[in-house]
Amino acid sequence: MAVLINKDTRVIVQGITGRIGSTQTRWMLDYHTNVVAGVTPGRGGATVEGVPVFDTVREAVKETGANASVFFVPAFFVLDAFYETVDAGVDLIVVVPEHVPVHDVMKMRVRARKRKVFALGPTSPGILVPGIGKMGIMPAAMFTPGRVGIVSRSGTLSYEFAGILSEAGVGQSAVLGIGADPVVLTSLPEILKLFDDDEDTDAVIIVGEVGGDQEERAARFIQRHMKKPVAAYVAGKFTPPGKHMGHAGAIVRGSRGTVTGKHEAFQAAGVATLESPMAVVAWAATHRLR
Amino acid sequence: MRLHEHEAADLFEMEGIPVPKRGLAESTEKALQVAGEIGYPVMVKAQVLAGGRGLAGGVQSVATPEALEDCAGCLLDSDIKGLPVRKLLICEQAEVLQELYVGVTVDGYHGKPVIVASKQGGVRIEEVARRTPQNIAKLALEPGADLYPYQARNLLAGLGVSRQLLITCADVAVKLYRVFMRTEALIAEINPLAVLSNERVLAVDAVLELDNAVLPKLNYSTASRLERMENDLERKGRQIGVTYVDLDGDIGLISSGAGLGMASMDIVGKRMRPANFLETGGGITAELLYKSMALIMMKKGLRAVFINLYGGINPIHEGAKGVVRYIKDHKVRLPIVAKALGNRQEETWEILRAAGVHVVTEAATEKAVDKLFDILDARSRPMNPSINR
Repeated sequence: MAVLINKDTRVIVQGITGRIGSTQTRWMLDYHTNVVAGVTPGRGGATVEGVPVFDTVREAVKETGANASVFFVPAFFVLDAFYETVDAGVDLIVVVPEHVPVHDVMKMRVRARKRKVFALGPTSPGILVPGIGKMGIMPAAMFTPGRVGIVSRSGTLSYEFAGILSEAGVGQSAVLGIGADPVVLTSLPEILKLFDDDEDTDAVIIVGEVGGDQEERAARFIQRHMKKPVAAYVAGKFTPPGKHMGHAGAIVRGSRGTVTGKHEAFQAAGVATLESPMAVVAWAATHRLR
Repeated sequence: MRLHEHEAADLFEMEGIPVPKRGLAESTEKALQVAGEIGYPVMVKAQVLAGGRGLAGGVQSVATPEALEDCAGCLLDSDIKGLPVRKLLICEQAEVLQELYVGVTVDGYHGKPVIVASKQGGVRIEEVARRTPQNIAKLALEPGADLYPYQARNLLAGLGVSRQLLITCADVAVKLYRVFMRTEALIAEINPLAVLSNERVLAVDAVLELDNAVLPKLNYSTASRLERMENDLERKGRQIGVTYVDLDGDIGLISSGAGLGMASMDIVGKRMRPANFLETGGGITAELLYKSMALIMMKKGLRAVFINLYGGINPIHEGAKGVVRYIKDHKVRLPIVAKALGNRQEETWEILRAAGVHVVTEAATEKAVDKLFDILDARSRPMNPSINR
């Protein structure tokens, strides 16, 4: 049983008629993802890359039996689209767009929890299960099937780690990005639990970055609950304090959220801390991961 | 985006929070005029967007026009924490009996607004929070919910605030929370909330950090955001639609993601220092990378450029065209090392190689940075005299 995406996952692409939505639909189909419907209000009846487009998520679900959705809608429409999708009974949502207002995300998070919807993002690269499919923007070339799980706050760094492991002959069970915003819909410990319970995953790599306290919380979870080996990398050692490095999540405030603080939290929890991305290869070798 | 104190104070006042009588001055003459209207003594406060402004000498009390003339003249010429002082806020100075703290922020991990209060406000509030956490009270609210006065009273009563002061302070907290919700802010803060005689209170400082994603909805123009950026290159970055951070090294850096960019900085930083950090986000076009190249090349004393891209959401083959066009237009001789992987990577490599860019095709950023170091080492080594005729 794979993490989140499996053979029964039937995917809606919201914002499918946009430039990015249509391109990414092509890439997802090329990766054999079961994309069954697109939704763009006002464009119902159209077809994009052979996928039927509906005006509403409710219609898309009714006509195609869709049970998952990936968003490529403009940031200001994300809240509305999210509520629409939850109300239509979809229980897995990936929010790719960046610049979604933080107050909107707080509301979405409450709704998702209340309705037991699993949601990634915003600013998430999505999820990719090698050999099964992908929801989001991850470039397929970097991934190979295997038994290592990767969870990342950064999109691009999740590709980097998967690429390094793939070159070293170590495949992945699933790779996902939780998003790098100050508030995200699903936190690191929740993803770690999925991997710990997944029989196709032998070990997990956390790719974190400076700012916030996701990593510190993850460390506490690992210490208390996790059985599988975990390694962690934290980007941003030389990031000047107080500078915005692209996403607001990566702001250093006081001593909290520093790379050193996160390393200490991980080490105290028995997690191997990786000084650089390439160090993951040696770690995988000591754990005989393939 | 952090608002200036005077902008935040105006918004607080509109909500009914008591704020000092005040006026903005860009010159000593104007400062004297404002102070004359308010009445001495006055507080003179440099309007710079830096924390710890007070400790750095940016806030002063003056009792006479002569003292104000000296103080204003001096501050208007100076830098506070590296930021030039262009405006002063002249405020009434009240007799303060006690300094409290009230703030609202977002608990990122739990995704909830949090009210924070303390009876020990003032410039050392962070120290209070660290050393005596029992003197800080916090209350998390459900997103979208109102803060009721009774909740604020419970919070403050727990700190030992009582009687009429409790009601007055709770009222300020409720109004501050309303500002936070109405502006969809990330931080709203009053530090200190001064307690005066007769149990009156006054918001002596005003902090409001807005969510950049919400600025268009709040009618803040791009121009108003740009004028807050003191670094010319960082402002230019914002104008072309990238995140640019100016640093003090000599390796130019372009990446297509913040995480990748930070990791690249860490790896370059093992032996050399990045001159800048330019992150494109998900909107790469040939035009954007042309402009990005132009921007990082404006930095003086660059020794090399490192470009680190992934083609996930980004069309990197388009980006490569922009890089190459810039190299040709400006006859760039600096060594450029590029790692570009993902969708349409082979096409991207061909475009870059044709313009003399050193392309690394392995996934690890370390390997690309090693290549960059090798090239620079070879350049700095004295050439063999038998070849160098």
